[in-house]
Amino acid sequence: MEKQPVLINVPAAKDSHRWVAVTALLLAIGIILHTISPNIGGVTPNWTIAMYSITISLTNPSLSRALGIGFVAGLTIVPSSKSAFPLGNIASELAGATTACLLVKLFLAAHLEKFKFKGFIIGGIATMISGGVFTFILKLVLNLPIMMWVTAMLPVVAIVGVVNGIVTQVLYTPVRRLFFMQGGKKDE
Amino acid sequence: MSETVINFTNFYFKYLNSQLVLKNVNLAIPQGAFTVMAGPSGAGKTTLCKAMLGIVPFYYGGSYSGDIEILGENVKGKRVSDLAMRVGLMLDDYESQLVSLTAGEEVAFSLLNHGFKPQEVAERTKKALTDVGLPGRENYQLDELSGGQRQRLLLASVLAVHPEVLVLDEPVSAMDPDGAKSLYALLYKIYKEYNMTVVVVEHDINNLLPYATHMVIVDNGQIAAKGPVMDAAKVTYDNPVLRENLPRLWQIKFNLEQRFGIKLGDWRSEEEAQEELQEKFQGRISK
Repeated sequence: MEKQPVLINVPAAKDSHRWVAVTALLLAIGIILHTISPNIGGVTPNWTIAMYSITISLTNPSLSRALGIGFVAGLTIVPSSKSAFPLGNIASELAGATTACLLVKLFLAAHLEKFKFKGFIIGGIATMISGGVFTFILKLVLNLPIMMWVTAMLPVVAIVGVVNGIVTQVLYTPVRRLFFMQGGKKDE
Repeated sequence: MSETVINFTNFYFKYLNSQLVLKNVNLAIPQGAFTVMAGPSGAGKTTLCKAMLGIVPFYYGGSYSGDIEILGENVKGKRVSDLAMRVGLMLDDYESQLVSLTAGEEVAFSLLNHGFKPQEVAERTKKALTDVGLPGRENYQLDELSGGQRQRLLLASVLAVHPEVLVLDEPVSAMDPDGAKSLYALLYKIYKEYNMTVVVVEHDINNLLPYATHMVIVDNGQIAAKGPVMDAAKVTYDNPVLRENLPRLWQIKFNLEQRFGIKLGDWRSEEEAQEELQEKFQGRISK
């Protein structure tokens, strides 16, 4: 009988730059969808936040890298923004990406990285924080009363957050498969 | 041709969640050889190809035992991108290896990624495209090239980095017979011109008959025959299960040798075979 060798286990190589490609791809898709998505009942999903929530969930970046992702995401929204203060997007996406990053680390610390609705929670909360920051900046710039921000703006932000949570959850699984694809085979 | 460029020692490998794909592989590819690797489908030929660049096991992951040395260095701890500068690989699905919009960009891609100066990139790109018969096509869009031309473009992009070893995994699987013959003739020309070491994995090795100096037969993850082409062919013929992997011409040759107890030449073409058979059997075989 043939003697069985002692085999050394080698993990599949993690592409150190795959996150860049996936982030760029998702942000680009986000911009296109952001540009063409119709407004339904005053609510439009924020595709960009959904996309960076996914990429941050998949790559678990450091806080500084997440800030980089948020900054780039904010910059991409500025040119097509129809708001009174487009630059506010940079601050809001920095806040959103930071939130997503901290939530991912929280899930990992709690050993809940395989939690089924991780995408919904991360996408939803990141959107709410981002939207909250953006509308607050808008309130400051336009000198709006605080009650208007609380009663008129934040509820819309909450609704968009839920919609975005659903979008993130739906897109998370297929993108995750793509991300872990190696040599045409799923390899996680 | 004594120095070896690729050396497998007691190499075993299995992918993540698979059975052993390669078993106790001991194989030395000599420098300057034109090695043909054949074997049934699923025998492990492609995996062996990928192991020649360290892609297996260090990129795909899995479990292994034994050693692989490439150009005198153990692949353990080596980056695939660095090994790729010395060992060029062309996969059967050539479309998946093309990443750029124009022919020039495609050839320049790996050079630019390794920090070559623009002038050298331009010179090497021009030379590589000329070598594969696509001179002046730098600005051609990939969709302006035919399938055969894209295949040659891929060969150019591999050649541009000046690898010492060229590994090709079923490079003509998507080509018609004339295209296949033409690509192998081109490959042989390049092999002679640059004094390279070439390893070609091929299911049907009839087209490689004129060029092969060495042969490896892989069966069920093991090396069933290896060595100078005629020695390996004889071992393969002696095993009825593997006999079909030999070129038809050599199956006839060994069959005749066995049947008539004669020694025939190392035929590399039908013309050679016809000439010798006419000489040896003139008047002896009646219709």
